[in-house]
Amino acid sequence: MDQLDLSPEWNAACVRVEDYLRAHRVSSRPHLLQLTLDLISKAQAEHNAGSVETPTQTALRIATSQTEQWFSVLAGSERPDDTTAASRGRMAYFVTDCDRRWPTAFLNPSPPVKMIESVRAASIQAGPALEFRSLVRKEIDYGPMEDIARETWDQFSWGHVLRAFAIWVVIFFVAYGIWLRFFQ
Amino acid sequence: MSAPAESQSLPADVVTLRRALFLATGGGILLAGGSMMFSILSPGGFSALEWTLLTLFVPLFAQISFGFAIAFWGFVILLRGESHEVMHSLPTPAPGDPPPGSTAVVLPIFNEDPARTFAGLENMFRSLDATGDSRSFDFFVLSDSNLPDRWIEEELAWVGLCKRLNAFGRIFYRKRRISIHGKSGNIADFCRRWGGRYRYLVILDADSIIEGRTLVRLARAMDANPRAGVIQTQPRIVRGTSLLQRLVQFTTRVAGPVFAAGSNFWHLDAGNYWGHNAVIRLQPFMEHCVLPEIPGSTAANRHIMSHDTIEAALMRRAGYQVWFAYLEPGSFEEGPPNLLESLKRERRWCQGNLQHFWFLFAPSTSFANRLHIFFGLMAYLTAPMLILFIIASAVDFHGKQHFAVLADRLAEMQAAPGATLVLLALTICLLFLPKIFGTALLIRQAAPFGGFVRLVAGGIIETLFSILLAPVLLYFYTKFVVLGLLGIRVAWKSQNRSSSAISLPDALRAFGEPTIAGVLATTAAAVWTPQLLPWLSPILLGWLLAVPLAMITSSERVGLGLARFGILRTPEETELPKILENLDGPTNAAPGSHSGLLEVALSPYANSVHVAMLRRSTVKARHKEAYLSDLRLRLLTHGPDSLSRRELLALLWDAEAIALLHREIWQCADDTLHTWWREGMRHFSTASAMRDR
Repeated sequence: MDQLDLSPEWNAACVRVEDYLRAHRVSSRPHLLQLTLDLISKAQAEHNAGSVETPTQTALRIATSQTEQWFSVLAGSERPDDTTAASRGRMAYFVTDCDRRWPTAFLNPSPPVKMIESVRAASIQAGPALEFRSLVRKEIDYGPMEDIARETWDQFSWGHVLRAFAIWVVIFFVAYGIWLRFFQ
Repeated sequence: MSAPAESQSLPADVVTLRRALFLATGGGILLAGGSMMFSILSPGGFSALEWTLLTLFVPLFAQISFGFAIAFWGFVILLRGESHEVMHSLPTPAPGDPPPGSTAVVLPIFNEDPARTFAGLENMFRSLDATGDSRSFDFFVLSDSNLPDRWIEEELAWVGLCKRLNAFGRIFYRKRRISIHGKSGNIADFCRRWGGRYRYLVILDADSIIEGRTLVRLARAMDANPRAGVIQTQPRIVRGTSLLQRLVQFTTRVAGPVFAAGSNFWHLDAGNYWGHNAVIRLQPFMEHCVLPEIPGSTAANRHIMSHDTIEAALMRRAGYQVWFAYLEPGSFEEGPPNLLESLKRERRWCQGNLQHFWFLFAPSTSFANRLHIFFGLMAYLTAPMLILFIIASAVDFHGKQHFAVLADRLAEMQAAPGATLVLLALTICLLFLPKIFGTALLIRQAAPFGGFVRLVAGGIIETLFSILLAPVLLYFYTKFVVLGLLGIRVAWKSQNRSSSAISLPDALRAFGEPTIAGVLATTAAAVWTPQLLPWLSPILLGWLLAVPLAMITSSERVGLGLARFGILRTPEETELPKILENLDGPTNAAPGSHSGLLEVALSPYANSVHVAMLRRSTVKARHKEAYLSDLRLRLLTHGPDSLSRRELLALLWDAEAIALLHREIWQCADDTLHTWWREGMRHFSTASAMRDR
């Protein structure tokens, strides 16, 4: 192995890679260190070949892509870049407790057969197979109250109200005029 | 299965006789009270105000009379034993009997604490497993939660639960993308997708718990009685810690049974459905109980908010029975922790019940359902009526005091105070006798209540608080009715079921109004009708003390302090049923802390679970991709507070965006991340390292 760059930037990258692996519940310390070193050395090699990225970005890009490829293959996908399969594989890996049952298998290019079977058999579902039924609303006769209400809503308009108001105002003034003229 | 249960055939004369007895009791008391009031008001003829008083008195007194009639017949039935209860004659299953019909147990949730909800579900599942009949049951958590953190916490709680119980494929979690029509819409959505797979549906609330044995018996009761459309259990209110919760759970345990038995006495197979802790026959439910629209000018007004009573009416209309299994144990729920939460729930119920008005006049509504609807309406409408009655009485009294022409009438009234006192005594009896009936029935079984002395002491304390709280409820019910009639709608909010004391500022904000009303009413009474002050004091005192009452009843210290002395004790406190154990796990972080978002972004486990639950879109519009990419960038560089809840939900609904967010956050250099994320990563990594140690 080439001499590793021990600068503070690579130290930060190393810490982030370790955190990322630990987030995947890699609990075996030697396994964690080995994976971190592998990933960092790959990242340094790529970075030294010329990159505009920071060391953390390069290291984590490699770590995430390697992890996703591994999960994708574990889930049974032919394509290592199959992100759907990668998500499924990752979910199944955790749901079936692979991290606990095979603590050193993470990112192993040849994972145990039992683990592969366990991951591929696992699934989580929002429900069993759908059996669609249509729910049809039946109209209800609400009786006379509904008719009264509907008439009010359907036939109501401010125009009618204003017209009625105007007529009654006219009637009032006419009546008032008659009263003043003939009875006062 | 052996012979069909007796409940399958209900003699028609029993129904007729019981309803006649019930109506005669309630009606007789009403007639007596009404004539007394008439004789009090009639000397010297009736003024318009007196007619108003009499008109208001009749429905108010009817509410009390029929409430008493229910309790009276419940008392009688509990003394002599009930033979017409749906679960009464259910035979014990023999070995080799077929398993109960396939049943879906659904738990609609809306932003409730996932820790409590899933702990309850775990206990139910374990209890059901112990019966040996669990294969007939599937559980569904139907989430309408709209808080991003709650959603993630629910998913993780669900997967954790399935892992612990090895219940993948037995417990399901479904999150609705568009949450229309609240809980009834959520149930309808379930029915559309999976309704065809099951014969029965058990509906729960987020805080409901039903023992496995009870679940099996409910399904078997439905098997035994093909005409049963709904069987409603009577959930016992449990796990109360605040004073209000303990008061409510005590009174429902003492007086609740007489009211339950009395209700069953008159309605028998024409019962009501409460929306939870009940089993429903799915086929007729899907065929006949789709909620109709009610007359209304807008789409929102046409939707029925409170579905349960109407669903019971529709089930009955389709020819199915609706039973109340009030004697069946093993059904539980929790009460709201304080007056504020209780009133929020009451406001929803009030507006829902007001909408039921339309069904009163629907020709197809049966008599019994019409009564259920009427009682539901009157439970709230009597509040403004009582306020009007009090005001009218005070005005009437004031008028008689001040107008010389009416002095003779006042003298007449004062000359015959007997009728007034008799009516008052009758009213007090009708109000308090149900509690006495309930206590009397428990004399021989007082030990689980802490013994007879503590039972009575609890009863006295509960009565005192109910007297003080009644005016506060009166005030708010009136307000709810007025708001409801004005068409001011209520959003369907989740209930805060965890105990929480009301602070002074909150109490002042919420209960300042009745306090001011109390001050004004006391001043007015003192100025204009000082003689009436002693009579009005119970109401005025309740209003004046609304703020401290709200605070005291919300207090866990007071509630648990009384519990230490065995006061307000219930049998479930004396001996906690196994199914209610270990429900108090660590509660989830408060909504708004973004803990769920942090988890889904950083944790490969949470992220993959969330992504696996989402449907991946095959075609993605470019503008949507750009929108989501912008949201991710803002989220990472400006923190979660830079996004609205709607934007966060848009991000969380997209599988690809969430998978990308996870990748991007890990790849981002520290200096490009918002401080919130940097802090979050530090916490997350420390927690991961601690876990591995």
